[in-house]
Amino acid sequence: MLSVSRRLFLAGTAIGLAGLPRIAFAEAPKRGGVLRMSVDQAASVIHPMQARVNPEYLVTELLYSNLTRLKSDMTVEPDLAISWEPNATLTEWTFKLRPGVTFHDGSPLTADDVVATINAILDPKTASPGRTNVGPIKEVAAVDPLTVKLTLTGAYADLPVALTYLNARIVPAKVIASDLASLSTTANGTGPFKLASYEPDRRIVVERNPAYYDPARPYLDRIELLVYPDRTAEASAMISGEIDLLLTTTPGEYERLVKADGVKALRTPSGQFLNINLGCDQKPFNDVRVRQALALAVDREATVGFVAGGYGTPGNDTPLSSAYHFYKNIPLKKPDIAKAKKLLADAGYPNGIDLTLVASDKPSTRTQLGVAVREMAAAAGFRINVQTMPHATYLDQVWKKGNFYVGFYNMQPTADAIFNLLYTSNAAWNETHWNNADFDKVIDAARVEADDAKRTALYAKAQDMMNAEVPSVISAFFDLLAAQRSYVDGYVLHPRGSVFRLDMVSLGAGAPKRA
Amino acid sequence: MTPAWFARRLMLMVYTVIVVSMLVFTITQILPADAAQSLLGENATPEMLAALRAKLGLGDPAWLQYAHWARHVFTGDFGISMRTSLPVGPEMLTALSRSLLLAVSAILVTLAVAVPLGVLAALRQGKLTDTGVSLIAYLGVSLPEFVTATLLALLLADTLHWLPATGYVSPLEDFGDSIRHLALPVLTVSVILVAHVMRMMRSETLDVLKSDYIRAARLRGLPERTVLFRHALRNALLPVVTIIALDVGYLLGGIIVIEEIFAIPGIGRALMVAITTRDLPSIQAGALIMAATYAVTNTFADMAYAFLDRRIRYD
Amino acid sequence: MTELFIRLMRRPQGFIGVLLLALIAAACLFGSALAPYAPEKIDFLGRFRAPGWQNWLGADQFGRDILSRLMVGARSTVPLAFIATFVGSAAGAIIGVGSAYLGGRTDEAIMRTNDAVMAIPGLLMALLLVSTLGNGAGNAVIAIAVAFAPGMARVTRSAALNVRNQDYVKAAIARGEGAHWIIFREMLPNVMAPIVIESTIRVSFAVMLFATLSFLGVGAQPPASEWGLMVADARQYMHQAPWGLIAPSAAIALTAIAFNLVGDGLRDALNPKDER
Repeated sequence: MLSVSRRLFLAGTAIGLAGLPRIAFAEAPKRGGVLRMSVDQAASVIHPMQARVNPEYLVTELLYSNLTRLKSDMTVEPDLAISWEPNATLTEWTFKLRPGVTFHDGSPLTADDVVATINAILDPKTASPGRTNVGPIKEVAAVDPLTVKLTLTGAYADLPVALTYLNARIVPAKVIASDLASLSTTANGTGPFKLASYEPDRRIVVERNPAYYDPARPYLDRIELLVYPDRTAEASAMISGEIDLLLTTTPGEYERLVKADGVKALRTPSGQFLNINLGCDQKPFNDVRVRQALALAVDREATVGFVAGGYGTPGNDTPLSSAYHFYKNIPLKKPDIAKAKKLLADAGYPNGIDLTLVASDKPSTRTQLGVAVREMAAAAGFRINVQTMPHATYLDQVWKKGNFYVGFYNMQPTADAIFNLLYTSNAAWNETHWNNADFDKVIDAARVEADDAKRTALYAKAQDMMNAEVPSVISAFFDLLAAQRSYVDGYVLHPRGSVFRLDMVSLGAGAPKRA
Repeated sequence: MTPAWFARRLMLMVYTVIVVSMLVFTITQILPADAAQSLLGENATPEMLAALRAKLGLGDPAWLQYAHWARHVFTGDFGISMRTSLPVGPEMLTALSRSLLLAVSAILVTLAVAVPLGVLAALRQGKLTDTGVSLIAYLGVSLPEFVTATLLALLLADTLHWLPATGYVSPLEDFGDSIRHLALPVLTVSVILVAHVMRMMRSETLDVLKSDYIRAARLRGLPERTVLFRHALRNALLPVVTIIALDVGYLLGGIIVIEEIFAIPGIGRALMVAITTRDLPSIQAGALIMAATYAVTNTFADMAYAFLDRRIRYD
Repeated sequence: MTELFIRLMRRPQGFIGVLLLALIAAACLFGSALAPYAPEKIDFLGRFRAPGWQNWLGADQFGRDILSRLMVGARSTVPLAFIATFVGSAAGAIIGVGSAYLGGRTDEAIMRTNDAVMAIPGLLMALLLVSTLGNGAGNAVIAIAVAFAPGMARVTRSAALNVRNQDYVKAAIARGEGAHWIIFREMLPNVMAPIVIESTIRVSFAVMLFATLSFLGVGAQPPASEWGLMVADARQYMHQAPWGLIAPSAAIALTAIAFNLVGDGLRDALNPKDER
């Protein structure tokens, strides 16, 4: 039985949210102007259901809208849906759509578009990464032209958050019916911008959508997205004023950007992490003592220095960083070589152990972690050979198959999402094969728990279990680093790493005139 | 320079392209890592992989895929990129045009710098100028492009702020800005080319200066200036045509690195992206177009050489 | 042989080249014994330490000593380039001499195909091959060797064509010697000079190509201290710690210069055309 406050907590309201900018400005944001920004890899997929990397999520976010939108505190706000309500058992959710919204071609948004979109995402033939991430949806139906009902396979409290998923952008039903693949080269969304030109490896240009549902936004007339694959050269371009905004940079370049004139370097703690996955179903990591020994050999503070250039926070072998709502502050594991040696000896390796750690070459921090851990763990008797390989080969041959490799993950919107992505027995990517039934029970209970305090206690227990049993060594979380020219107003670096909200951005005094 | 010679030379060019196409196709067939997996990344599920593989036609036998591909290429259709879903042919040709802009600019800069320096070094053989020129030449050919590029960018962009560090602007959109953005990459490519051409120019000039007809010209009492420009230089320049044509091969390889660093959306970067994402149609088209460019350039260089040779050597 | 060496040493470029090569050889042989630190020893407090008494050439992003890495890295850089060139040259030489020996239409077919393969730029060829074989220093060596072979075949073949028309080869053919004997005993020894000169210069290309492959992420892999990889890694931090970039770049340049100088010196020493 849900309390009244719980129902209000779960149900969304549109009061005063849509029209107001999130940040208070001294004066109203100026309209007009061209924002030139860079990304470090091409947005080579603009099909919203098939986007996979941040630059692609950016482009589809500009062109399309979801039902709900993730705020930077990881709660949701209305987007195409203005309100929503679950039934008492959290198995049926009803979403009210915003009236009067039109697609870029002028056709109105209706419940049919939402139904067709969600069905297309769930269809295995579409091959959308969103299929496993939009929530346990069994059925979706249009109640009336502006009302959609989603029926779930089980209780799920986080459905509005799941619908913010980066592939769950709403596309017109008629495109899905006629030629879904056409969205790879053209776009027809409800987003704040329209696609003006698309040359994936050089430049993507979007222009203001005059019919956007919020008459005040977007503020910019046009956004130009350039591809600068070399991070060092990209930072130089920012310093010389060639570009106004860069989405992500390295610690080394960040230090240079902090010192540069006219540049505002941006930094936000995040839940993005690197981990060392330990195959808990195979020798030697099926012995918890070997896993604990490795965990004790790693100096977490030093890892933050080596891998994140100091721009991060140490990890404690759980995937929740302080940026998550349900984070538990467990005392940080200190390196203890003597204890690690003893654990390793007890596990049957008194003379140490030889291992090969696989690290893909993208991002390069994977290899850096490998090299640092190799040296740190050597003292405890781990003789680690670091093997690097191209990302494509890694995905093909090692990922989810190997028993000792470096993983890299973005922050997820909820604790449930990250645990169910990686660590439960039926996780989408159950890499570690930890398969701990007690842990599964805790996560399942938290998933349907309505009371925030009880939920906090359950997630605390889950974190304690991971901290003790170490299915993977998580030694550092990254801060997200970016930079903008100081005349860019309204950009907020989102901890999720893949939400951008450029419709909130405007150009202040001192911005160059760009044709 | 008979019509038969021309026909033979053109046939060799066609043969080159056919051999390259087979070679490239074979290599792309045995590339490890599945294109479908690399496209779908970490979100792939087995059903999604199977669906995508079927869509991409990855299941057919190799010879069938080659025959199919060759027939389409013959009609100018290089297929659809697995990565961007755009047609590969037009994308690669646009990319090639940007690379050619870079390459031709670099060759012009090289000729303007390397020829006078090479001749100067030959005339001052053994003197300080000669040694200086040789030293620069040795240094130029001894640094990999990515090092030269990095050092030049560090100096000219980050320290002196004379030039933009990266980026590409089309000359059709803003000519001045386009030149500014091209300057660093052109300079980088030119360093190695200048070193190479300068050395060749020096030794060719030395050879020509020692040749009998130059001695004869001097004996006839012609002014040194006439001897140098009318006879020596024209003959020494001839092999430079061939050298430049052969350097096009180096150039096309070198731009892979340079375009990556300077964010030029040319054919080198397109190939690099295609190789890392295992985008087979783009690898095939890119490599074939690159090799064909080399073959065509060399065919024309041969023809130009034959033409110039007849006119100059025996006048 | 001794006479050739004396002639080589008498030229300034030969002398400097040989001197540099001796230095590089010493680094390859004794580098790891003489290095002040272990090349992979990380030091948290020493990250990006500027050159000074503790680290003569500074320290990198892991606090590893750059001088030690350079000294130890010589062994994983220069010999590999050397092997790649040797294998490529040997393969190219056999193709070239074989083609010249066979002559006629066979020669034509082999050389035209060879020229066709040369239409693929060396770096692209190496990239494609490494992608096929898998990243790593060993595969980079194979890729470079394959990329070099057609060029060497062309050089060798033009030299071998002259030899093919010499009387002693014609005599051997008339005697009814086997192809194997003629190619390896009669022709190859007599085209060694151009092969050696070309190969020496090509070692410098191999050093650079190897470095470039490492830069593109497909050559040597971390934590190896191969010089090209050191440059590639240091590029990320070049504004914080430029010494990390400069030291290995200089090492690559010096090695390439050394092989170029010796190659040119050998060419002059073998064909003393300036003295005619």
